[in-house]
Amino acid sequence: MSILPKKNELGFFEIRLESIGGLGANLAGKMLAEAGVIGHGLNGSNFSSYGSEKKGSPVKSFVRYCDPDVEIRDHSPIEEPHVIGVFHEALYKMVDVVSGLKADGVVLVNTESDFETIKQDLGLEYGTVAQVDALKIANEEKTKVNTAMLGALYRILDFLDAEHMRGVIRTTFEKKYPHLVEPNLRTFDRGYNEVQFKTFDVPAEAVNKSFTRPQPRLGYETQEIGGIISAQANSIEKDLSGSRTGYLPEYRADSCIHCAQCDTVCPDYCFVWEQGEDKKGRPQMFLKGIDYQYCKGCLKCVDACPTDALADMVEEKGYADEHRVKHNFPLVSGGMK
Amino acid sequence: MAMTEKNVTKKTKPEQVQTFESGNEMAAMAAAQINYHVMGYFPITPSTEVAQYLDMMASKGMHDIELIAADGEHGSAGICFGAATTGARVFNATSANGFLYMIEQLPAQSGLRFPMVLNLVTRAVSGPLDIRGDHSDLYYGLNTGWVILTARTPQEVYDLNIMALKIAEHSDVRLPVIVAYDGFFTSHQKRKVDLFKDREPVQAFVGEAPEGYPTSINKEQPVTIGAHMNGDDLLNNHFQQSEALYRAYDVYKEVAEEYEEISGRSYSILDQYGMEDAEVALFLLNSAAESAKDVVDRLRNEGVKAGVISPNVIRPFPSEDIRQALKNVKAVLVGERADSYGANGANLTHEIKSALQEDPDNNTLVLSRVFGLGGKDFYADDAEAFFQLAIDAAATGEIEKPFDYYGIVPGKEELKLQPVIEPQTKDVYNSGLIKVTEDEETNKLKVKVPPLRQLTTKPKRFASGHGACPGCGIFPGLELFFKGIEGDAVILFHTGCGYVVTTAYPYSSHKQPFIHNLFQSGPATLSGTVEAFFEMKDRGEVDIDDDFTFVMVTGDGGMDIGMGSAIGTALRNHKMIILEYDNEGYMNTGSQMSYSTPIGHMTSTTGVGKEKQGKAFHHKDTAQIMAATNIPYVFTGTEAYPQDLIKKAAKAQWYAQNEGLVYGKLLITCPLNWKSNDRDGEKIMKAAVESCFFPLYEIERGETLITYDPEAKKKRVDLSEWLGYMGKTKHLLKEENNKLLSSFEEEVERRWKILKTKHETPLI
Repeated sequence: MSILPKKNELGFFEIRLESIGGLGANLAGKMLAEAGVIGHGLNGSNFSSYGSEKKGSPVKSFVRYCDPDVEIRDHSPIEEPHVIGVFHEALYKMVDVVSGLKADGVVLVNTESDFETIKQDLGLEYGTVAQVDALKIANEEKTKVNTAMLGALYRILDFLDAEHMRGVIRTTFEKKYPHLVEPNLRTFDRGYNEVQFKTFDVPAEAVNKSFTRPQPRLGYETQEIGGIISAQANSIEKDLSGSRTGYLPEYRADSCIHCAQCDTVCPDYCFVWEQGEDKKGRPQMFLKGIDYQYCKGCLKCVDACPTDALADMVEEKGYADEHRVKHNFPLVSGGMK
Repeated sequence: MAMTEKNVTKKTKPEQVQTFESGNEMAAMAAAQINYHVMGYFPITPSTEVAQYLDMMASKGMHDIELIAADGEHGSAGICFGAATTGARVFNATSANGFLYMIEQLPAQSGLRFPMVLNLVTRAVSGPLDIRGDHSDLYYGLNTGWVILTARTPQEVYDLNIMALKIAEHSDVRLPVIVAYDGFFTSHQKRKVDLFKDREPVQAFVGEAPEGYPTSINKEQPVTIGAHMNGDDLLNNHFQQSEALYRAYDVYKEVAEEYEEISGRSYSILDQYGMEDAEVALFLLNSAAESAKDVVDRLRNEGVKAGVISPNVIRPFPSEDIRQALKNVKAVLVGERADSYGANGANLTHEIKSALQEDPDNNTLVLSRVFGLGGKDFYADDAEAFFQLAIDAAATGEIEKPFDYYGIVPGKEELKLQPVIEPQTKDVYNSGLIKVTEDEETNKLKVKVPPLRQLTTKPKRFASGHGACPGCGIFPGLELFFKGIEGDAVILFHTGCGYVVTTAYPYSSHKQPFIHNLFQSGPATLSGTVEAFFEMKDRGEVDIDDDFTFVMVTGDGGMDIGMGSAIGTALRNHKMIILEYDNEGYMNTGSQMSYSTPIGHMTSTTGVGKEKQGKAFHHKDTAQIMAATNIPYVFTGTEAYPQDLIKKAAKAQWYAQNEGLVYGKLLITCPLNWKSNDRDGEKIMKAAVESCFFPLYEIERGETLITYDPEAKKKRVDLSEWLGYMGKTKHLLKEENNKLLSSFEEEVERRWKILKTKHETPLI
């Protein structure tokens, strides 16, 4: 008898984890897959989206399970998963995280938002939403988001034995970092216990969330030959705010002495300056604010600031958009001037 | 009697265990179990992990392979060849440009008949760089005279690696062997794999390295390896080699049979699926063939007699097997993840066509499609589309388009790239705030720079929106340097993090003219640009009111693989600047050691464990190496001392415009791989300077000047203060590593003292 609750036409139960580099989604995917294969005798495969992903860039991790006698030949990314785990809420902006979700599938989101908000943010009409505040759990236990997410995923994947994963966590940490065993077990358990579910009724005629295979912006008729890019600096069109993981610098203009130390250390060129006059009427540069569209939240500027004009801030939804001071790039087109 | 013997073998089949690993892990596992003598390697995606896993296993004492991190793939191939001449067992792994960089060594190794095993984790080679998988690198290997085996799954990677050595060393063959598997699809996907529990059965299978062949270390029988020949002799030499390569066909079969006896897994020359009665077929190499098998099942349920052929060996090319397999096939589509531009089909298409041509009764229609380049995924519906093309051809007996690209898109006019900013020209970057004058008395330059605040009027050279990690040190470091450069610059980055995160097509974070070129030739490339510019200017063909400043940026890991090119460029003294950003490792490929990694530091190829404590030797002193070329100006700098760096940049520009080559070295933080806090970058740089690990100095017209002396300022700190900031060096502060730490401290002190002496004595 198969322990898998559902299967697609090739016999696979599929999971896709959506995250940004650095949150440990790849490791979580690997641990899930190993637990299924080594711990439960299933056949399976696991891989990630590939490329030069850096910390803070979108990544995906894929897990396929099937019965032990089923051969896995498919190498391609999972397009229509049964379960999706979203490790980072701000990803909504950059990635269609629920692309291809099965109509009766489950999407787990790391968020403090309520079900209705999640449903709305994701554009879901039906299906099961699972909510867990993994960031809060990880912060409280001084552990990582991925362990809490793993706990919550285990509640969803009830054919896997949570006790097995507890054993894996124990052996992972016990030798080198024995003091981390208990906090990580607690994190896993809290993820498992604190995850909340809400099912929005699946109508009989419901279809899977459509998936779109990303198409390149340019083709053979529109690429310049040799792959030349003549739109210099067009990376300013990118929104990198999704790379932040909970913190951003708060700017308090009152105590700013405009020394430019922040500007000097900022890897993402977020500080916006404008010319004004000093007390004697001479032209001088003044810090106007921060362009949060590019801020990845490293907080180097806070440490570089000799006054308290910059401070750590826990990012609240909407703060960055409201307080963003846009760069005044010398634009030819577009609406940022 | 024979029966009994077979039964006995069956009973004693060695124990196997199941694991869940990737292709790279299995290549490393096979190498560890074989216990090769030497691996000379250089990191390149996606093969790098093989060396990483072997390093990890070495730190746990799981094998005795001497892992040699070369200065580049050319060097790694040299190490391997040199080692192979001793009769030692030799192993390597590479990909793409790395494979091409070593390629001149490959025909030498095969032509001189020294066996070894090279894992080629296939990846694109192309103009616009692409780090993902296709077979364009492999196709360059087809004419090297190596045996080439192809592995579709992690299981096959393991098994073929064990078989490969035995084939290579066989007396009928005596040739090196490539095991090729798909980058990422096979190298990184984890699958269920069976492997021998102990290494003994693997070692028993490959046996002791055969003796009786000439080696470079035989005192009794000294030999000359690598004489030169003329055509009369070379033709005969090549005939020998050609015959040996064909003999590898039978040897493969023999070894595969023996391997099946101990493993239970069989690998025929051709992997055939549904081919018994197939009327339409796909011929696919490696992982794509696996994906297509699912589609064969589906089509067969619909009554279509479909099949897939995938070779396990492509050198020697199994022509006869292919003729047999395609005998009754009406149409075959050969899908290739590479092209042989202008040849009306990539290489294997023509080899298949030529195999069929020798059978006068054969009527199989052959279609050829280039697909899946640069890691473009191959989905079931793609395989279906391929079958449909074959079905259509079979039905009509005609091929509409014998050769084509599959999966291309024309693009939409309205999505064409549009300029986003106005071109940033010289006036923009001429702040007029920086003054450089020559002091006739001291024979040095005097520089005046304004406070940082005033310099914020000068726009950045690089644009926001690049994809570097939070807290990356590259961008503050580079930008500070360019603050000191007035006017326009032409900037070249060679491959590395800085390049990758600023040019992810179709986006660019460059405002000024930008060129990328490969690792080993960045300085040479820009020297060509410089000379062409001045030559055209001299001829009056370029109408320009002010010159460019030419800047070549090298990193990650400092300046390693392009060192030869850098020294050559320096000796020629072109008017340009080479700027190194040193983050102490090859961070772009996942933090492998570079020569600038300091001793004891942990990287993914210098692990920390029972048997190893990070890197085994001291860091490279690039600034001093380059100073020895007697160029006009050499400097070091970091973001933590901004005024110091801006001044040096201004001097660099003056020398590059008036005298010749400048070399600058910036130390920068990599929070991800240094395992430090994102926000600590500046503090870490400060401590690196104040501990004298990274002294700030310049060598101007041969005279050394320390520009910031932490001792004189009474700010010197212990090296351990710097090391304490980084996870990669925490182990060095443990008591058991006292000796290692002292050795590091002594080296830092020794170099600092030499520098001080040079500072005090202008003539040295």
